[in-house]
Amino acid sequence: MAEREELLRFENFGLTRGAFQLRDISFTLCREEVLCFLGKTGAGKTLLLESAAGFYSPDTGRVLYQGTEVSAIPLHRRNIGYLYQDYSLFPKMTVRANIGYGLRMQRRSREEIRARVREMAEWFEIGHILDQHPGTLSGGEQQRVALARALITRPSLLLLDEPFSALDPRTGRKISDKLTELRKELHCAVIFVTHNFREAEELSERIGILAGGKLCGVVPKEELYSSEWPPEAAALLGIEEKT
Amino acid sequence: MSWPNKPKGGPGLFFLCCLLLALITLVFVGGNLFIIIFRGLQSLPASIRQAETLFAVGLSVRSACISTLLCFLLALPTAWLLTRPGLPLRGVAEVILELTMSLPYIVLGLSLLILFSSPFGKSLKAAGFPVVFSRNGIILAQLMVNLPFAIKLCVTALRGVDDKLEKVAGLLGASPGRRFFTVLLPCCRNALISAVILVWARALGEFGATLMLVGVTRMKTETLPGSIFLNVSTNDLNAALASAFILLLLTAVSLGVDALFRHLGKGQSRYG
Repeated sequence: MAEREELLRFENFGLTRGAFQLRDISFTLCREEVLCFLGKTGAGKTLLLESAAGFYSPDTGRVLYQGTEVSAIPLHRRNIGYLYQDYSLFPKMTVRANIGYGLRMQRRSREEIRARVREMAEWFEIGHILDQHPGTLSGGEQQRVALARALITRPSLLLLDEPFSALDPRTGRKISDKLTELRKELHCAVIFVTHNFREAEELSERIGILAGGKLCGVVPKEELYSSEWPPEAAALLGIEEKT
Repeated sequence: MSWPNKPKGGPGLFFLCCLLLALITLVFVGGNLFIIIFRGLQSLPASIRQAETLFAVGLSVRSACISTLLCFLLALPTAWLLTRPGLPLRGVAEVILELTMSLPYIVLGLSLLILFSSPFGKSLKAAGFPVVFSRNGIILAQLMVNLPFAIKLCVTALRGVDDKLEKVAGLLGASPGRRFFTVLLPCCRNALISAVILVWARALGEFGATLMLVGVTRMKTETLPGSIFLNVSTNDLNAALASAFILLLLTAVSLGVDALFRHLGKGQSRYG
């Protein structure tokens, strides 16, 4: 694999939110790479993603995005796409307005917005719901709208929080195929968190394991079961039971 | 009619006690409305043609509209700031607002009277903006009384919006101002409309601070509550009841408008 430029770096990152702590988080993400974090509910997956987006200032360490501390970059200039688990679509806007929101904020022309929204809607097969409001959509439709909205601005980094957890396996697979195809076209790096091993192995290049707010390691997906893991990660992977 | 969780063998003693107390409460509260509606309706035809009543209605509605507009121009940015995470001295600001809200309005009027009777107030008067004993004072009194209340309503409305929406909008390239106008405001529009109507109705009925700052002078600073006060003072109960009825009517209309907006705001739901 050719050497790729670094996009994101966590350096000894630590953060306390209420009673929960993320600690000793260090890893790097290269451009166009897909990295997945596996962990049980409450392992700190969402907090890790939000930290990658720069929503919080760290207690220790730092998060560098394109060489700059991410929380120091104004939120609207980070060029990061974020898909929350509940999709967080703007409820008062139509699907069309939701998808085109990022382009409107970039003050693109009306014609360009219309054309790119149509293109994105065709890609995700949601052209028939463009004039509906999010509250009238199914979970799968909402997810495709949220993905289209996140990708239309061509972000350098896409953060996905349990992207397929609320979908049935068939819909999830269909959307993940679409996402993989489009991601390659847009040259976008992805971090996604999940508790689903199949998703992690199918979609990512490297996999990290989070347990109790601690990053137990990041390995190429082929080495997931052959690597040395601390007991909490090994328990999650079910390695002890296998041997 | 069916009662939820109805116990076997008829309603219990506790239920009957609550029912009795609720009936007494409703009769007690509703009795006021009954008196105002029926006595006020009888007096209304004669009073409504009087220039004094029309003046009071006009002044009340006009001053309530202006003070409500000013109130929200100040309350919304303040509330937005108070809902930002990590804001220093937020606690101090909240204590100031809570304290002001819990003060009797006549005390607020007194502080306004002292402020605008000072050299500052006199220089304002010299510059063509008199406050004490003038109609400007009515607006200022209503503003002072309603501002903390309006800020609290706006804070509640803004906090009701999922903060993830703002974060997503920010990552999509929206600056703080555009996030406010394109995401926050539309999401809490109904709550804000309710807040505006409530504040307007409160401004319409404001009396304590207005009395202290501008007094009540017939056909000069006579609002609807002021008109009730003056008419009771001169033992003209019929005119007072007519003004009370008009106040009740205006408040009922504002509540109706609020309900209409709530109804229109529903929908856009897959299962609703």
